[in-house]
Amino acid sequence: MSIKEYLKERFLFIFVNSIVFLILALILAILEIRSIVIFSIFIIWFLPLAVYISIEFLKYAKYYNNMEEILQGLDKKYLLPEIMEKTDFLEGKLFYDILKTCNKEMHEHVNYYKNLQLEYREYIETWVHEIKTPISSSMLIIENNKSLITKNIGKEIKKIEGFVEQALYYSRSSDVSKDYIIKRFDLSVAINNTIKRNSKDFINKRINLQLDEIHAVVYSDIKWVEFILNQIITNSIKYIKSTGGSIKIYSTTNKNNVILTIQDSGIGISEKDINKVFEKGFTGEYGRKYNTSTGMGLYLCKKLCDKLGLEINIKSELGIGTKVNIIFPLSKFNLLN
Amino acid sequence: MQKIIIIEDTKIIREELKIFLSKYDYEIDAPDYFNNIVEYIYKSDADLILLDINLPVFDGYHICREIRKNLDTPIIVVTSRDSETDELMSMNLGADDFITKPYNTQILLARISAVLKRTSKNSLSDILSYNDMKLNLLNGSIVYKENTEQLTKNEIKILSYLIKKKGTIVSREELMEYLWNSDVFIDDNTLSVNVTRLRKTLEDIGVKDVIQTRRGLGYIMP
Repeated sequence: MSIKEYLKERFLFIFVNSIVFLILALILAILEIRSIVIFSIFIIWFLPLAVYISIEFLKYAKYYNNMEEILQGLDKKYLLPEIMEKTDFLEGKLFYDILKTCNKEMHEHVNYYKNLQLEYREYIETWVHEIKTPISSSMLIIENNKSLITKNIGKEIKKIEGFVEQALYYSRSSDVSKDYIIKRFDLSVAINNTIKRNSKDFINKRINLQLDEIHAVVYSDIKWVEFILNQIITNSIKYIKSTGGSIKIYSTTNKNNVILTIQDSGIGISEKDINKVFEKGFTGEYGRKYNTSTGMGLYLCKKLCDKLGLEINIKSELGIGTKVNIIFPLSKFNLLN
Repeated sequence: MQKIIIIEDTKIIREELKIFLSKYDYEIDAPDYFNNIVEYIYKSDADLILLDINLPVFDGYHICREIRKNLDTPIIVVTSRDSETDELMSMNLGADDFITKPYNTQILLARISAVLKRTSKNSLSDILSYNDMKLNLLNGSIVYKENTEQLTKNEIKILSYLIKKKGTIVSREELMEYLWNSDVFIDDNTLSVNVTRLRKTLEDIGVKDVIQTRRGLGYIMP
């Protein structure tokens, strides 16, 4: 609150007083009253007025400026009512009570939705675990009754498994709670597990896998990382259209980070689409053409990477291939975070 | 023959797992009654226990704890719950391994044989024999009569799988899937090269025509 703003607010009051005084002074001047008397009247009239306005200004300015300062310093602005001071002047008191009530209501409102989301999330998690049983049994039946038909059913069930997993990680990613445990692990373990999961596709599509020796130890949550890798590798497999394509996986260890690169010889992403691949529901031209994309995979990857403090970026050239980099920061500081 | 007990309450998984593991020369016991499972296990003299967590009467954790009071039979926990806490719980209660559903059957087999290998007292499973030929998995050598030859990692994997499945045709896809699941990520051409080299090595020590090609189907060791 500045003096100017404050005086502007009091302008009418000061203006009326001044007009009335001017009229009075004029009358007194006509009556030939000595100017010293007029001046005394002015002092008697305006001094208390000025003192009153100044005191009021200081009081308000102190209160509101203080509050503004607190507000600026607050990370979460809605927490202001929790820490603002209670004051003894009427306006301040009213203001305080109103904010308190609003805040309380808002909390109840937010809690309502929080609970709704939590319940839904719990339901999804249970559902995912329930559905894993029929998926497991179907896969066993297929394994025990191998034929061309069951092989094809098996492929479809693999897809179901992938979508179910996506649902689970989606529910995990959107919750406020931290559902991950940062541990030290060997990156090659996560990579090998992901490759093994997709071995059938690699073999059937005759994809040439160039896997470098990866000796990188990183700090992260291995399950989440495996999920991210799986999304990227299944994407690569999906967008390699002809047989004889290749996927190259290698890592570069720098002083402060490890960069894991997954490079494929797939159809690539056009320049106008590349910046949108991490958006939710974005499928691009090919996704729509082949109708196999949900636009969720990379969106989830990005979201999970953000949560884990990893960086992910993607470079691509149409018709040549796509290169995905995942950057793992390398310091024990991550364990504390 | 090694005996595995499957403790799993979903009937269809239990039955199919029984069929599946029987194919790989395990003796399977799968109770369908869960009231006194612990005593059942005490009496059964198994080499390995596959244990589900969500079970009627008592859950897997309880059973695991009870078994460990008297037995050190290896236990592999199989569950659809995949949180760290579940894994930690299982390991703390004395389980030897932890697999989440839905599992890749080849990986399940690999884990089972790894655990069995680690815990079995005799190391018989480290030496595979085929007729008069002996494949030693520990030092990677193949012995026939007086001749000994060393094999590479890939060759050992290929030969051991073919010996294990002797008498049946193993398709190239199946063989490759097995290799990929044991961390050997080779492509089609490399497989052919490896098989050719393996045949040559076998011929060098006097074993001829043991790996036969069935055109369009795969390989077989008769």
